[in-house]
Amino acid sequence: MGINVIKLVFLKELKDIFRDKKTIFMSLVIPLTIFPLLFLVLGGSMDKSMKQVEENLTVAIVDSGNSSLSQFLHNQETIKLVESTDVEADIKSGKILVALEIPANFDEDIIAEKPADLALLYDNSSQSSQMAFSAVSSMVDAYSKVVIEERLLARDIRGDLLTPVVIDARTTEKEEEGFGKFMLSLMLPLMLVIFSITGPMGVAVDLGAGEKERGTLEPLLTTQAGRLSLLWGKFFAITVMGLLSTMASLLGLLFSMRQEGGLFQGSAVSIEPITLVLIGLVTLLLTMFFGALELSISIYARSFKEAQTYISPLTMISFIPTYATYMLDAKNIETYYFHIPLANISCILKEFLAGIYNFTHIGITFAWIIIYIIAAVLFARYMFSKEEVIFRT
Amino acid sequence: MIEVMELSKRFRKILAVDGISFHVAKGEIVGLVGENGAGKTTTLRMLATMLKPSSGTAAVNGYDIVQQPGQVRGEIGILFGGEVGLYDRLTGRENIGYFAELNGMTKAETSASINELVKLLDMQEYIDRRVGKFSRGMKQKVAIARSIVHNPSVMLFDEPTAGLDVSAARIVQDFILHCKQENKAIIFSSHSMSEVEKLCDRIVMIHKGKIVEQGTVAELKGKYRNDNLEDVFVQLVGDNNGN
Ligand SMILES: Nc1ncnc2c1ncn2[C@@H]1O[C@H](COP(=O)(O)OP(=O)(O)OP(=O)(O)O)[C@@H](O)[C@H]1O
Ligand SMILES: [Mg+2]
Repeated sequence: MGINVIKLVFLKELKDIFRDKKTIFMSLVIPLTIFPLLFLVLGGSMDKSMKQVEENLTVAIVDSGNSSLSQFLHNQETIKLVESTDVEADIKSGKILVALEIPANFDEDIIAEKPADLALLYDNSSQSSQMAFSAVSSMVDAYSKVVIEERLLARDIRGDLLTPVVIDARTTEKEEEGFGKFMLSLMLPLMLVIFSITGPMGVAVDLGAGEKERGTLEPLLTTQAGRLSLLWGKFFAITVMGLLSTMASLLGLLFSMRQEGGLFQGSAVSIEPITLVLIGLVTLLLTMFFGALELSISIYARSFKEAQTYISPLTMISFIPTYATYMLDAKNIETYYFHIPLANISCILKEFLAGIYNFTHIGITFAWIIIYIIAAVLFARYMFSKEEVIFRT
Repeated sequence: MIEVMELSKRFRKILAVDGISFHVAKGEIVGLVGENGAGKTTTLRMLATMLKPSSGTAAVNGYDIVQQPGQVRGEIGILFGGEVGLYDRLTGRENIGYFAELNGMTKAETSASINELVKLLDMQEYIDRRVGKFSRGMKQKVAIARSIVHNPSVMLFDEPTAGLDVSAARIVQDFILHCKQENKAIIFSSHSMSEVEKLCDRIVMIHKGKIVEQGTVAELKGKYRNDNLEDVFVQLVGDNNGN
């Protein structure tokens, strides 16, 4: 009887949920599309400002002695020279991005092989100006190289004498993956915890408080179905929906990382299957924990509104331990972190993403998650059996 | 049949139901009347095993509500007033079927029972549409069908006509009489003395959780030499408040 009733409740709840366009939209469509859209916009705007600087590198040169440097810069195609009488004001207003002030004795110093001074003005509060600054700096570097080579040549010395060591930088991650992996290890733990909370939220509210508000709870409780069977059926339905919602968010996230022109510039990150399985398992368990917790709160509430008011602070509270571990480096996380609720989840996910499988850490974390789930389910069971909760007035 | 024995319920400080005893035979409609907060709903919820009695007990078709709540639930059907309590996104048939199957009926039994009820309540036209857009009267019929789909032997009605217009209330009243014909034991709570007089074989008057009087309509009218039951009720309640 028990199993049949659980199945019956489970299937009915899923049918009910899937017919609700609002819930489907909020828990599947939005999570699926939010990241691709967000990153497309972010990436697009970054791309745009980069292009703008490249195409419109407006520079003013204040040269008191028609120096060789200013001629060198004149010959650079990318630079757009602009006349300016008040460089500081023009930089602030954005009319020019950077300004060079070349002193009158610049060429003399170069010829005399003395360090020559050069002032480079830019707006350190503007991203475009900063980009222009680094572009112009590297042109000045190129000019310096030319000068050095001339000096060495005059002394009959080979140019490569000054670079005794040539570094061939090789990365452990495929070069284009490094950035993506780094971003992922920062963002994913945080996001997965948040998804595990928000995923089951709407459904939990509907299946607990909603049942009270619609007046379906009383007839439901007078059927032969035991309260525990009702609880389990609802719990599994919430878990499934929470998981689907989390998967939708992850899919959106992965898709957005592969997006050309997005923030990640299509830097595909390949995650090993075992890592994916472990991350999926952690997410499933965490969703179960929050699902049970939210269902307990929801059955205590008298209405949808009340349930939402009680449940939404969960997101903020959970954010604290998760955010506290946000910047930790996966390679040296101390063991005590794995005893802190949610911080342990965030840390273990970080390790998985970095390809670290520390069995002590895994053991501690999974033991805790199981304890969290058991506690939350027992709490839900307690709430379902209390007259004061079910018939709260 | 229902046998209520010294049934009491205490909520923290309030003694909501205070040692009430009465009996309902098969095919009998007993009216439960009392002011707001008299303890009618609490009594019915205990009979339906939603609340546990603080002391005393009741037997529903021989099953004890404390010892055998599962069996008791198999014997009862409830129709409580206020919200009809249907799932808007399910069809009428799905709403009724869900409760039938929760009561342990097979798919075949469920479908046969629903088909019969659809005919009885004249719901052919809309039974397979989603309940969300139904009129109040249509919803009421679905709720009625749901309460009886598992063919219970005892029916509990808690102010089932509260907030209904005349024709919707009529549907409910006819349904209660239909249950009587099917020889079910029925408890029916209401504020409307005329409705109670019209439907009930016997009346149980409760006040502040205690029974102040019970008997058939004729008995009560004779005993208090008053043809108006409302006057009788007000007098009894007033007497009880006076001391
Ligand atoms: N869950 C509860 N917790 C605490 N007190 C309750 C609870 N349910 C009912 N009561 C109290 O018990 C008393 C009886 O309430 P009950 O709902 O049974 O009255 P009623 O006769 O159905 O009234 P009405 O005609 O207003 O429906 C009231 O004083 C009420 O406040
Ligand atoms: Mg009541």
